[in-house]
Amino acid sequence: MTRPRIGVDLVPLSRVRTLLEPGVEPRLRRFLSADELAVSRTPDGAPDLAGIAGRLAAKEAVFKLLGAVGRPVPWQGIEVLRGPGGRPGVRLSGAAAELARGAGLGPIDVSISHDGGFAVAVAATTSPLPKGTP
Amino acid sequence: MSSAGIDKVRDWILGRHPDRTELAADVDLIESRLVDSLAFVELVYTIEDAAGVEIDFDTIDIEDFQTLATIEKAFFA
Repeated sequence: MTRPRIGVDLVPLSRVRTLLEPGVEPRLRRFLSADELAVSRTPDGAPDLAGIAGRLAAKEAVFKLLGAVGRPVPWQGIEVLRGPGGRPGVRLSGAAAELARGAGLGPIDVSISHDGGFAVAVAATTSPLPKGTP
Repeated sequence: MSSAGIDKVRDWILGRHPDRTELAADVDLIESRLVDSLAFVELVYTIEDAAGVEIDFDTIDIEDFQTLATIEKAFFA
C-alpha cells in the first residue's frame, strides 16, 4: 500500500535576475546541469527567466518529496528536463536518487506554472505506508 | 575578535536583509530564514571568496553553515 506525497515551491523571477547579473552568472551552473542550461534559453538565445525560475521551483518541490531535512538541496542531482509532450520530466542521480530509493518513492511527476513575476511548481509521488497503518 | 573573512560573510547576509543592522554569531541562519535554499548556494560562494577555499557541495555538512560562529570555526579558524 502507498500514500501520496506532494511538495511545492515558489521562486520569484527577481531571484533569477540576480543570479544572471554580470559576474554572478556562473553561479547558475551550480543550480542547473548542462542539459538543463541547454533548454533554459528562449528561441532568440536569451536566458529564459520564467523557465529557469520554474525549473528551480520544481527542483525544490522534488527535494521536499525526499524528506531530507537538514541537508542542502542537491541541485545537480535533481534535473528537470522536457519530457514527452513538452511536460516537465524529472531525472534523479547521485544523493537525490539514493534518497528517493531509500524512501521507497514511486515515479515523480511535476507541474510548473508562472505568472505575476513568480514561478510555482508542485511535485507528486507515492511513498509506502508506514508499517502498522490500518 | 572576528576575522575579516567572517565579517565579509556577515556583511553579505546583512546586505540581503536591509531591515537588520546586526547579526549575532549564534543566530541560526536557516531557521531564522536569513538564508534560504537558493541563497545557500550564494552563501557558499561568499565563504569560498572570503576564505579562499573551494567547498565541495557533495560533502557539505549543513551544521558548518548554521550560524556565523560555526562558519567561522569551519572556514576561518
